Amino acid sequence: MPEGLANRLKERRTELGLTQAELAELVGVTRKTVNTIENRVFVPSTILALKLARALDRPVEALFSISPD
Amino acid sequence: MSAFVIGLLVGLGAVLAIAVVVKLRQRNMPMSVAEKADYLSTRRARMLPALAVIFVSQQATFFATISSPAPHSADGAKISAWLALSIILLFALSTKWFWFERKEVRDLLDDENTRANRNDGMRWGFLFSMAAAIAVYALTIFDTAVTARDAVHIVMTAGIAVALIRWGMLERRAHRDA
Repeated sequence: MPEGLANRLKERRTELGLTQAELAELVGVTRKTVNTIENRVFVPSTILALKLARALDRPVEALFSISPD
Repeated sequence: MSAFVIGLLVGLGAVLAIAVVVKLRQRNMPMSVAEKADYLSTRRARMLPALAVIFVSQQATFFATISSPAPHSADGAKISAWLALSIILLFALSTKWFWFERKEVRDLLDDENTRANRNDGMRWGFLFSMAAAIAVYALTIFDTAVTARDAVHIVMTAGIAVALIRWGMLERRAHRDA
């Protein structure tokens, strides 16, 4: 069965009152990259996932999980 | 000065002129590094398919030239302009683009998602190059005369154009909101 990477990035970002651009700036990527991760178009590297988790003050497994596509 | 050198200079001149116009347009737009990278990234996404169209449209010149029994000297200039554009596009495909921007902006323009999209574009470009090479090879089996220059031209065009289109498509999709 094919698997995808689900994420709760948008929920957490909105909770903190951050825009995509602000989050992107915090982790050193463009807004486009944050947008594609939130939309499940792009699967981030471990490094970027950890940076996002740190920026959003959540453990990485609370933000990302494996889900059937 | 030979027609080929003139063509090369015209090609390089056109690229420099575009770079200067882009720079002048940005002068009155004060932006942070992130804003600028986002702005340029959007522009690049729009530019990629347009560049592919310009690049492929030059092929009309090439095929008109090779089918002509007595090529004109201007044809040499056009072919070398095509060569200059090919080299510039190959360089653009394999670097971070926007060579006249600050390092921070260029680094941000080559973030993880961009690299993934570009790599996918390059993969498609490679596969289409190989498909074009196989097609050219098949043509020679049926006694169709294909010179080395024609073959290189066809293979390069297929590879570069497809890589640009694929990368452009992925970048445009990435910019689109859900």
